[in-house]
Amino acid sequence: MLNTAFIVLISPLFVSLIKKVKAFTQGRQGPPLLQTYYILVKLLKKERVYSNNTSLIIRITPYINVVCVIVASLFVPVVYIPGLFAGFGNVILFLYLLVCAKFFMALAGLDAGSTFGGMGSSREMTFSAVIEPVIIIVFAALGLLLKTTNLYEMFAMSLKSSLLINPSTLLISLSLFIILIVESSRIPVDNPETHLELTMIHETMLLEYSGPDLAMMEMAHAVKQTLLMAVLINVLFPWGLTAAPDVLTIAISLTAFIAKAAILAVAVGIFESLFAKSRLFRLPNLFMLAFFFSFSTILFELLK
Amino acid sequence: MMNLLFICGLCVFLGITLAQMIFAAGGSAVTRRFSLWAMLGANLLFLAFSLIIVLRNTTFSYDLYQLSDTLRFSFSVDRLAAYFMMIISLVSAAVCLYSLGYIEHQGSDTGKNFLVATMSLFILSMLLLVAADNTFCLLFFWETMSLTSFFMVLFEREKADTRKSAMFYFVMTQMSTTFLMFAFIAIYHVTGSFDITAVTGVSPFLKAVIFLSLFIGFGIKAGVMPFHKWLPYAHSASPSNISALMSGVMIKVAIYGLVRYLVFVLSPDRWWGVMILIFGTFSALLGVIYALKEHDIKKLLAYHSIENIGIILIGIGLYLIFQSYGFTDLAMLALIGSLFHTLNHALFKSLLFLTTGSVVNETGTRNIEKMGGLIKVMPYTGVLFLIGSISIAALPPFNGFVSELMIFQAFLQSSIISNPFLKILLFLGLSLFALTSALAAACFVKAFGIIFLATPRSEEAKKAKEVSWYMIAGPAVIAALCMLLGIFSFQLFSSQGFILPIPNMMFIGLTLVVTLGLVWLLMRMISNRTTRTSETWGCGITSQNSKMEYTASGFSEPILTIFRPIYRTRKNVERTYHDGGKSIFKDGTAEIQTFKLFEERIYLPVAHFVLRLSTYVSNLHDVDLDTYILYSFGAVVILILAIGWLV
Repeated sequence: MLNTAFIVLISPLFVSLIKKVKAFTQGRQGPPLLQTYYILVKLLKKERVYSNNTSLIIRITPYINVVCVIVASLFVPVVYIPGLFAGFGNVILFLYLLVCAKFFMALAGLDAGSTFGGMGSSREMTFSAVIEPVIIIVFAALGLLLKTTNLYEMFAMSLKSSLLINPSTLLISLSLFIILIVESSRIPVDNPETHLELTMIHETMLLEYSGPDLAMMEMAHAVKQTLLMAVLINVLFPWGLTAAPDVLTIAISLTAFIAKAAILAVAVGIFESLFAKSRLFRLPNLFMLAFFFSFSTILFELLK
Repeated sequence: MMNLLFICGLCVFLGITLAQMIFAAGGSAVTRRFSLWAMLGANLLFLAFSLIIVLRNTTFSYDLYQLSDTLRFSFSVDRLAAYFMMIISLVSAAVCLYSLGYIEHQGSDTGKNFLVATMSLFILSMLLLVAADNTFCLLFFWETMSLTSFFMVLFEREKADTRKSAMFYFVMTQMSTTFLMFAFIAIYHVTGSFDITAVTGVSPFLKAVIFLSLFIGFGIKAGVMPFHKWLPYAHSASPSNISALMSGVMIKVAIYGLVRYLVFVLSPDRWWGVMILIFGTFSALLGVIYALKEHDIKKLLAYHSIENIGIILIGIGLYLIFQSYGFTDLAMLALIGSLFHTLNHALFKSLLFLTTGSVVNETGTRNIEKMGGLIKVMPYTGVLFLIGSISIAALPPFNGFVSELMIFQAFLQSSIISNPFLKILLFLGLSLFALTSALAAACFVKAFGIIFLATPRSEEAKKAKEVSWYMIAGPAVIAALCMLLGIFSFQLFSSQGFILPIPNMMFIGLTLVVTLGLVWLLMRMISNRTTRTSETWGCGITSQNSKMEYTASGFSEPILTIFRPIYRTRKNVERTYHDGGKSIFKDGTAEIQTFKLFEERIYLPVAHFVLRLSTYVSNLHDVDLDTYILYSFGAVVILILAIGWLV
């Protein structure tokens, strides 16, 4: 509970932070760090506008998205690692909760009958399909390395052993970073800044949302990004994470996570600024790169 | 009590068939409706029968009729057989309920009566096939099943397409029977009996031959690539309730045969598992890739059947591999996952075919490009189709997810196998399995989105209206089961004594619901509640029409482009110009064809070869009496030699 509340509260911060970093590299001041919060609050106060063509789907999608990512956030402890319960922490379930959110978002993209939405959902589903084997292989490699298929146990394992020096973890974190870029719709896969260039994927699906619905979609997206960042952080730099919670350790791990995630967000921002949006059909090459990294980890671990 | 249930069910089915056959010409809607209700009742009898056996883990045997000492119609139902009987009767019951409404829209009165008669015989033969305790009985009902389904595919026989599909199906299904017969005779040769019991002491070569012919025989019926081609033809040609039965249930009967022989009869070698795994992976992947390019909704679903059969085979393959290494727990996980997926696929695929039947009935087309916006006029059908889509796309907490999760779990632990090459192969299989699953989600976003969302793309789609009560109730029962089986999967398996390493979906589901409630309450409190409707934003264009919507071809285009090497699309573009410099465009045509790899590279060459061979053989016949006498003399000599060699 605490974990989820914390992730939900902190997520918009990283969105702004990435924007800020990008602005700096472009020689601008950039929006204040709390800008995303202001936007969300403003959106909540606005009315909802639905298209005449739409059905039930677009009305329920924001709720489904938020619920899916919130339940998924229970799977990624950033503060302390709880005991195993009823299959929480199962890797496959975690991934498929995110797919579930995406499935409904893509359906809602088709709902209004606009070309943009359709294009967005078509591309989103395509790339989510092509990246899926990479994601599975990355988590399989992690499972192989840490000898478990449960996220809780994975983090506990990486906490116990200092894995940073291991070449396998470095390869895996490269792949995890690529997954983070792809799944949070960032350059070179997608451009989160504009809405209407025909290269867009994620944002075009959000065109038909307004007011509180849009706030929910933005929130869900921000939380999802934080979750993926948290997975990467917990595997690579688990310091600060604790298995025995008390007030002091929780406070330490909270600050530690914010610091680590901020560094990662800066890295993402710099990465985005270094690259240009790449052509749509060249993206599978990037995915292949990630696949190669993670599969070589598996080969390495299997044949060791 | 069990005997009574069994016999009652059997008699009702036969009674319906007879009555409907006799009154085929004169039967009215009332008798037809009565027959369908009776069929529903008979299915429920068999459902009760099989549930008792599955839950109590008992066995049941019954001798119906003896032709001779070896040729007997006798049945023996153990837990595995009862499980499949449960699948058959469950799905058939829902289909009967649906047919009460659906059948009145199909063809002439005689045709309808005949359809009910064959349907009854078809369901009965599937049930008895699974219950059969010897190969003679099994083959007999296998043939009844094939023949009745052939007649049902041929239902709209006035269309040339249908006739071609039915013939194709007939040839393929006879081939499967031939392979099975060969395998059964080979087993008989070893054991001297037609009983389905464990076979021991077979030479490795003969065992391999038996396995291969069994695999091909059952594989053809199950639609394993590359023997799958009849599926899309037959499923799209037949009425939708029949497609639901064929795709939901009939191809599962082949899976039953395979599992029965691999688990109980033969003692499998390791390479069998590897082979089944490879075939399964390719069926799954290619099935979904071909489904993505399909715009005929029934063909799309048929290709998804191939995909799901592939997933089931992956589970069986994993079972064999783990079993051969002695990891019994993992092997059981894979096998149970695959059997659970069999049930799940039977449910959600029949759900999808039934709701598709309603849609096709209302719009009069199978082409999804001509549909659109149907969820507003057919809300119940739309929601039911959505539930089917969610299940087949394996989204939590529905049933499709749980069974795929089990197979994923089995895959993820494959590193305990000692052979490094096999390990690498399994991890490759895992990644392809993930790709399959994600592509299926993409495909059902397309299917649901294009059929039910946005605005209608044709006049027919505009005029569509919600279907009758029966046609909603049938699929609704299945949809409810899809949800319940997913959510209570853990409880279900543990109550049967299988403690599996899967998440407790009841808690996950509960968490989802509670979170939804909280989010909803929170949003109600803090957000603005006024809503307004307006037109879709179109860059300033205010009069949107359906031509501006994204189409199914457009939707799958990026995937088609990425997987171009698999589709081998051929583009023919012809242009004419006004001037010699080819700069002012005058006219042109463009055509995109997908290369039918299997048809052009496997089926046609085989067909041509057989045709050439038969021409040659028929040429031999064009001779006088003396030559015929020589032929028969030669035949006798060969026979004597052959017998001398064998005995």
